[in-house]
Amino acid sequence: MMSNHGNRITQGQFSYLPDLTDEQISAQIRYALKNKWALGIEYTDDPHPRNTYWEMFGNPMFDLKDPAGILIEINNCRKTFPNYYIRVTAFDSTAGWETPRMSYIVNRPKKEPGFGVARTEGPGRQISYRVHSYATDKPEGERY
Amino acid sequence: MAMVKERSSADRYKAGVIPYKTMGYWEPDYKPKDTDVITMFRITPQPGVDHEEAAAAVAGESSTATWTVVWTDRLTNCDVYRAKAYKSEPVPNTGPGTKTEQQYFAYIAYDLDLFEGGSIANLTASIIGNVFGFKAVKALRLEDMRIPVAYLKTFQGPATGIVVERERLDKFGRPLLGATTKPKLGLSGRNYGRVVYEALKGGLDFVKDDENINSQPFMHWRDRFLYCMEAVNRASAASGEVKGHYLNVTAGTMEDMYERAEFAKSLGSVIIMTDLVIGYTAIQSMAKWARKNDMILHLHRAGNSTYSRQKNHGMNFRVICKWMRMAGVDHIHAGTVVGKLEGDPLMIKGFYDTLRDTHTPQNLETGLFFEQNWASLKKVMPVASGGIHAGQMHQLIHYLGEDVVLQFGGGTIGHPMGIQAGAVANRVALEAMIMARNEGRDYLREGPEILNKAARWCAPLKSALEVWKDITFNYESTDTADFVPTATGSV
Amino acid sequence: MSNATEDPPAAAVEINLEAEFAASNIQEVFDKLERELVGLVPVKTRIREIAAMLLVERLRKRLGLTTETPTLHMSFTGNPGTGKTTVALRMADILHRLGYIRQGHLVSVTRDDLVGQYIGHTAPKTKEVVKRAMGGVLFIDEAYYLYRPENERDYGQEAIEILLQVMENNRDDLVVILAGYADRMESFFHSNPGFRSRIAHHVDFPDYGRDELLAIGKLMLDRQNYRLSPGAETAFGAYIERRMKRPHFANARSVRNALDRARLRQANRLFAAMGQPLSRDALMTIEEQDIRASRVFLGAPKDKGAA
Repeated sequence: MMSNHGNRITQGQFSYLPDLTDEQISAQIRYALKNKWALGIEYTDDPHPRNTYWEMFGNPMFDLKDPAGILIEINNCRKTFPNYYIRVTAFDSTAGWETPRMSYIVNRPKKEPGFGVARTEGPGRQISYRVHSYATDKPEGERY
Repeated sequence: MAMVKERSSADRYKAGVIPYKTMGYWEPDYKPKDTDVITMFRITPQPGVDHEEAAAAVAGESSTATWTVVWTDRLTNCDVYRAKAYKSEPVPNTGPGTKTEQQYFAYIAYDLDLFEGGSIANLTASIIGNVFGFKAVKALRLEDMRIPVAYLKTFQGPATGIVVERERLDKFGRPLLGATTKPKLGLSGRNYGRVVYEALKGGLDFVKDDENINSQPFMHWRDRFLYCMEAVNRASAASGEVKGHYLNVTAGTMEDMYERAEFAKSLGSVIIMTDLVIGYTAIQSMAKWARKNDMILHLHRAGNSTYSRQKNHGMNFRVICKWMRMAGVDHIHAGTVVGKLEGDPLMIKGFYDTLRDTHTPQNLETGLFFEQNWASLKKVMPVASGGIHAGQMHQLIHYLGEDVVLQFGGGTIGHPMGIQAGAVANRVALEAMIMARNEGRDYLREGPEILNKAARWCAPLKSALEVWKDITFNYESTDTADFVPTATGSV
Repeated sequence: MSNATEDPPAAAVEINLEAEFAASNIQEVFDKLERELVGLVPVKTRIREIAAMLLVERLRKRLGLTTETPTLHMSFTGNPGTGKTTVALRMADILHRLGYIRQGHLVSVTRDDLVGQYIGHTAPKTKEVVKRAMGGVLFIDEAYYLYRPENERDYGQEAIEILLQVMENNRDDLVVILAGYADRMESFFHSNPGFRSRIAHHVDFPDYGRDELLAIGKLMLDRQNYRLSPGAETAFGAYIERRMKRPHFANARSVRNALDRARLRQANRLFAAMGQPLSRDALMTIEEQDIRASRVFLGAPKDKGAA
């Protein structure tokens, strides 16, 4: 078990708060829609801090007016991948941004073993570090 | 405004001393070109010196003039090289009947060919090189500059920028959290790394060396780097997040700085830092190095208050913001509004807009005298540091927005339950406030209530709110807006 | 101690229907509908009835007399050009003002927007449309084209199944309005009883009469700063009578097309008279000859649409 606050991976905007309810998730989606951002749902069983490309649960959704449609997809994704990490990402296409503006986790595995640090001693006192996910010792799809 | 009497060129170049105004440095009809660099100075003329003459003198001394007429001017296309003062107007609330002696805002235009591309050193050697010691003015302050797009395009700009920094860190939609390791001086490398580890594991994104942590007898820089990176990697594994520590590479020579930066890179650090006191050229060099090595470059504005704080002399910090965005830093300390250091809310908004916007319109209230198109130069992340704590989270987000690093040094390390708890308190307060803001709540007004509600399930936050509940720094700012009806005090 | 002293008597709960109505601002929508659409009295009456019911339903919910979200899906039947889309837009507005939908927008689609060409294409397409309509009204024009019994592997069936599911499970999130010709809609409901059972309100849009169409035409012209001369008005009345008997008659839409062509002829007429002074009045006026030049007035009716 992870030993940090909440004993869990703390990526995303709201990992230090209690798990978001569907109403809270919808309120955050509403904020993104108000800003005309597109919303994508992504899932993974390899939450390494530098794993940028989680799998997309369909393309990002553009031009929507109401959170309900996105919540349906989030729940579909949860149903399909109940023991994966799932995050909602909001994409801003305006000049000067053209990048995600929000990202928060809406689903996580029941047990989160976390990561270890592997050290390789180099010359002098130098060490090369590798952050290693315990879960990825197992093949894809069998990790959590 | 009085028209200058025409002089024949034979008169103009007769040997001797003639007023700057009649030498061609005062041109009230001049319309600045899109490619001109424009400056705005606050001038306090010496008693008896006409303000237009003072403006012309500043234009002259910051471009081609010397104290006497030289015939060699006539070998040049000197009309182009002469800076032109084209407007001088009294500063509101100065002069007779006020507490301040009469000041003027003088607008001066410089042709693009006066400057070397891509060199802050050259730009500043011209604009602020000699003129501040000039006797005809009692005091002089560079308030603002309009940099033409053509000139901006000769600069690299921020090595990483807000967008790419966030993408690299995988952190979106909230301010980043940092802290400066305390005490500033005396910790051994091993002890120092302990503070870094605790704060990062607790929930901060960054920890930072202070400006004067370089390589002193108590801690050689290599020791610090080695132990800090152990701490960073451990904390990254403990949280599953990208974490960083700004390793200060400031040193006595460029060679030493490069050596330290290379070592930081070899250890896998995402970010290094340096201090404003290393000089503009050294900063530009480090920015180029950072771009080449995928490194975020943090800048501590050490020393700036020696010339930016007093209202009548020196230069406004917003000009430093502009130069540093051109020079290519990714972070710069730019004020907190609510903390212990100087900072009027409107002025600080002006600094933040200058660092972060793709285009800043003229806004006299926030001290932005010129419209500025940033020509796609990346955005600089402002850093708010000094005397801030979790209980001010709603005010910080309200004044500073979400693209900012909030540095809670004392507010993390001084937590009664320990450093990790201090970091947890800050992170919980931040996330709760961002969530409330996004939900459309009036978070500035309801801030204390939102924090208290989160504190009900988060003991570290409860304790932080209790300990620092009465801490505010209420002093009048010295650098305030000239164009607001009533002065805005520090909050 | 008696209960009567603790519980307020039922009559004491003040319910001010008038205030509720005023607060909802739906009168504005009725006024707008009145301005936009000539005649259509039965439709307007029906819309008022539905609005009244929804308002009362809202009150009942507030007092705990009901807990269910009512079914709000509707069918609008009638010939082309009878105002179905306009009324649907206003209906979205009313539902929004009464709090039955969150956003109040209208997404208008036909079979092509919902049904794909290949296997696996239809579900994402339909879901995409449904997501866009969330919080608003999904208006499906000529809905019966979704069902093609002659082709047993038609992908329309897939769209129908998704729509039925959404109409049941997401009643809080969106309202579906099916629109089209009355007879075809009837047989569609007959073969798809699932739809019929989920539709709460049927609204029938009658054809316009000659005088209504004339009034519509004058309203259209007025908005564009044109007017009919007295002769032109008589001629246009005659035009409408003839046009109504011809094939492909589409009510208000046919009137608009006829007037577009009359404006074209007016411009040509003015152009041909170039050189003479031109008054503001002349620029605004459609003359009898601009109407009479229509092919509708030529000889025996042909089976092509009017030109």
